[in-house]
Amino acid sequence: MRTVLLASLRTHARRYVAAAVAVVIGVSFVVVTSALSAATKDGLVAGVGLPYADADSVVSAIGTDDAATVVRRAAAAGDSAAVLGYVPLPVSSGGKVADQDADIAPIADDPALRWQELRAGTWPSGPGEAVVDVNAAKTNGLDVGDTIRVGAGSRALEARVVGTVDSPSASAGGSVYLFWSDLERWSSSFYVDSVAYLGAGAEQAAAGTGATVQPAAEFVQERQAELTREVDVIAILLLVFAAIALFVSVLVIANTFTILFAQRTRDLALLRCVGTTRRQLLRAMRVEALVLGVAASGLGLVVGTVLGWALVAIARSQMPTGTMGSAAVSPAWYAGSFAVGLLVTVVAAWLPTRKVVRVSPLAALRPDSGVDVRSTAGRVRTASGVLALVLGAGLLVVAMSSNSVPAMLAGGMVSFTGVLVLGPLVVPALVRAAGSPVRGTTARLATGNAVRNPRRTAATTASLLIGVTLTTAVLTGLASSRTAVAGDLDADHPVDLAITSATGPLPASLLGDVQSTAGVSEAVALDGIDAEAAGLGTLPVIAPDGVDGVVRDTGLVVPEPGTIVVPWDLLPDGNVPERLAVTVDGRTERLLVSVSEGWGEAALVAPETLARLTADPLPRAVWVRADDAADAEDLAGDLGALATNAGVDLTDGYAERHWVELQLDILTGAVAALLGIAVVIALIGIGNTLGLSVLERARENALLRALGLTRRQLRRMLAAEAVLLSVVATVLGTLIGVLFAWVAVRTMVDVAVEDVSMVLPWGQLAVVVLVSGVAGLLAGVLPARRAARIVPAAGLALD
Amino acid sequence: MTQTMPETTSTTAASARGLTRTYGRGDAQVHALRGVDLDLPAGRFTAIMGPSGSGKSTLMHCLAGLDQPTGGSVTVADRRLEAMSDDQLTLFRREHLGFVFQSFNLLPMLTAGQNILLPLELAGRPADRERYDLLTDTLGIADRLGHRPSELSGGQQQRVAIARALIARPAIVFADEPTGNLDSESSAEVLGFLRRSVRELGQTVVMVTHELDAAAYADDVVVIADGAVRAHLVDPTADQLVATLRGER
Ligand SMILES: Nc1ncnc2c1ncn2[C@@H]1O[C@H](COP(=O)(O)OP(=O)(O)OP(=O)(O)O)[C@@H](O)[C@H]1O
Ligand SMILES: [Mg+2]
Repeated sequence: MRTVLLASLRTHARRYVAAAVAVVIGVSFVVVTSALSAATKDGLVAGVGLPYADADSVVSAIGTDDAATVVRRAAAAGDSAAVLGYVPLPVSSGGKVADQDADIAPIADDPALRWQELRAGTWPSGPGEAVVDVNAAKTNGLDVGDTIRVGAGSRALEARVVGTVDSPSASAGGSVYLFWSDLERWSSSFYVDSVAYLGAGAEQAAAGTGATVQPAAEFVQERQAELTREVDVIAILLLVFAAIALFVSVLVIANTFTILFAQRTRDLALLRCVGTTRRQLLRAMRVEALVLGVAASGLGLVVGTVLGWALVAIARSQMPTGTMGSAAVSPAWYAGSFAVGLLVTVVAAWLPTRKVVRVSPLAALRPDSGVDVRSTAGRVRTASGVLALVLGAGLLVVAMSSNSVPAMLAGGMVSFTGVLVLGPLVVPALVRAAGSPVRGTTARLATGNAVRNPRRTAATTASLLIGVTLTTAVLTGLASSRTAVAGDLDADHPVDLAITSATGPLPASLLGDVQSTAGVSEAVALDGIDAEAAGLGTLPVIAPDGVDGVVRDTGLVVPEPGTIVVPWDLLPDGNVPERLAVTVDGRTERLLVSVSEGWGEAALVAPETLARLTADPLPRAVWVRADDAADAEDLAGDLGALATNAGVDLTDGYAERHWVELQLDILTGAVAALLGIAVVIALIGIGNTLGLSVLERARENALLRALGLTRRQLRRMLAAEAVLLSVVATVLGTLIGVLFAWVAVRTMVDVAVEDVSMVLPWGQLAVVVLVSGVAGLLAGVLPARRAARIVPAAGLALD
Repeated sequence: MTQTMPETTSTTAASARGLTRTYGRGDAQVHALRGVDLDLPAGRFTAIMGPSGSGKSTLMHCLAGLDQPTGGSVTVADRRLEAMSDDQLTLFRREHLGFVFQSFNLLPMLTAGQNILLPLELAGRPADRERYDLLTDTLGIADRLGHRPSELSGGQQQRVAIARALIARPAIVFADEPTGNLDSESSAEVLGFLRRSVRELGQTVVMVTHELDAAAYADDVVVIADGAVRAHLVDPTADQLVATLRGER
């Protein structure tokens, strides 16, 4: 059997290429996932301990005010405490916005607790002095000696940059570091991560705050474990995609073996005739699968390693401040990936090889009647498929009515299994339907070829069906939940950008300058007046009027007469009074208070209310609506410059909106790309089936050529077959995917947001259909070229 | 049957001059044809005979434009084949030639009727109902036209193949061992039809065979040995044929 096995591997090696590629992709996916997560962990974990290196204890789970208390008590007790955290604020320098949304972090008063590394200049000696992260300084054009303006409005702070530092801890790093005493003014929006405490009195200092006090080493250990877990969650998500890719690989490999054995039935029967036992035959076939699995998995390890290291290197060069450490793949991971690749191959080959034992020696003696394996769906198959479909649909209905995610997942899987089981019935019928409107001999021949073996047709399209269903389901689901997110964004950022004067009127030319700025779609000037608010001091009161075209959510920022909308930031301690007495020049109005934010430091009233407060209001704010395609950074920079020149403040909600939308785009793109890997494997599978079928039909194609089919027509016929298969799989997958997305939206988003409507991302869906159609065409190119090259006489002589 | 003249008017349907065909190179080189000179008369049934491996199939493939000869020239229906491109050859076959092979004659995914009409369809010519009915009636397959090849017997399959070869009124029908897979009764039927197509439809048929019984249906016999023509017998008697073939052993 050795000689037979070796000869067979030699002659058939090329036919296993596609199956091997599928395994290589799956295995390298797993290895890359491991390399990336190791690098991310390394980067995240590496700096975690730094800020606490010299601390005795760490106070965590603490609010800003309590953190300030701890710092005060520490100073009183002769200990020192350093707050770790940040507040996002705009930073400008020399009248230009350097960074609209910079993380401003504290630097420890006590040099012993400073974890940053000084690169240039000196450490700050007290309030009013700042150090800047070297990378942030480079990107924002800041340098030692510059004077920067941090924040906006009445609380804006001027500081001098005295040095640059490196921030080797990703978790505690910021762009600009100021003394804690400078930062306390933003306590309402400051996020405290923890407080590093040097000295023995941490417990007493934190007494009564309810915060957690731990020895520093213990805290660091816990934090590292937590970060590792977070990365692991992401790694597991990635592995889910790897599992999908591997499952599709199983289909491709199983299909390859099935086709190859169908083609080799005569060879195998001949071997049985000359005395090979069933067991020997079976073992030979399985050894072939094993060799394929070992070779492909081994190659997958190599490809995955190279790819993983390359990706990490690229990520590090693209994001010098990022959190990528060095890549590593543990021997256990390697062993695991290899085993998975091997398992996938052997499992995929198991069923097809089992059929080998049923080959009777007589098959070799029968005259070859051509390859016309007509296998149709049996009654059992039909019944079980319909049953699964009905059961799954029932579960989905239950899921929607009870908002149960487990029921939804189970229903999805069961009903999709039903679709796959019914494939040999449904898919050929669909292919025939899709092919029938196309006129011409080549199209008819292609349709006939595509459906001639229903099981093979179904198995080939199944892999693509899975990929496309998942992709369209996710795309549609994301698009639908996006509308929900968009509603939240509108509420949080009712105005894209607002320029507000804290004191005095705006320059008359400002509105015109803003309107002529690139990226501004519409801008409106708002009148207002300085008012005395009881308990809040002087604050500008402005009246949004004629802002319907500018604001995203009118309900929140166009108050009723008799009410006043106050930004959260202006309320001390977040206490909301029911009514507020507002006085201008002796006229007092008692107004109902509601609280919101997103337009800068001014209170909003109705135009009528403003008219009762003052007879001659002055322009105090300009509200801006950005173009949909406006570049967030450019717009913020341009408007920020205008605002700074006028001595007023810019509030940028657009940057945040832009950022959130960018995140959603990235999420959509990432999921599509990850599922794309499964789609690629499926398309390789289509090319593979077609290539193997072409080998099988060499005589038929030669006959067609003899009868007068030109090379072009032959190529077109095979291309049409590939396109028919991929288009049917894609269209069916898109329909099922959209249906699943609808169920998912009904089940999951409905709970959170009322009346979520289904949103079909037509553009994205069209791209999916188009891409798989074109890719199907490409998948058919190689086999078609090979088939067309064969001279008719040579094809006729083939057995 | 009505008398229909084939489209060629010259008396020579196909001819070869100094035809050579070599496979492989170096030590593995095989000279399948070593300079064949041959004229096949129009309107006659010619059998090509010879021992196995003598080059019969190769000669037929070269004459039919299915293979490119290594050297020499081939003229079929007054057209020189060796200068034609693959596409020209394909169109030429489509317009002027018909084929019957030993097996794999029919496309499995088409019905018998669709198989018969395939050459016309490929050429974009309208289906000739009259000829279609005439051929299917004569060949006795009129009631099997809706079946797929796998549902037909070997003899029926070959009759369908003959109908397909004749449907487009080709200048020459080439048949390579058309009865190789058939029992003697079916063989006799198939060969009888081929002879009738020559006698009654005025077709030109060239058939490769190594069976004496089959050759007996032909008008002329070309004997090939070792890649060259040994004899071209016109209306040979059985004894004459046996004697010539015996001389080649
Ligand atoms: N593709 C090929 N490569 C190499 N040699 C070939 C090829 N095709 C045919 N031959 C050789 O050319 C010679 C003639 O072959 P051909 O098929 O024409 O013989 P034949 O007369 O038809 O034989 P048979 O009666 O067995 O069909 C043989 O020696 C054969 O081995
Ligand atoms: Mg032969």
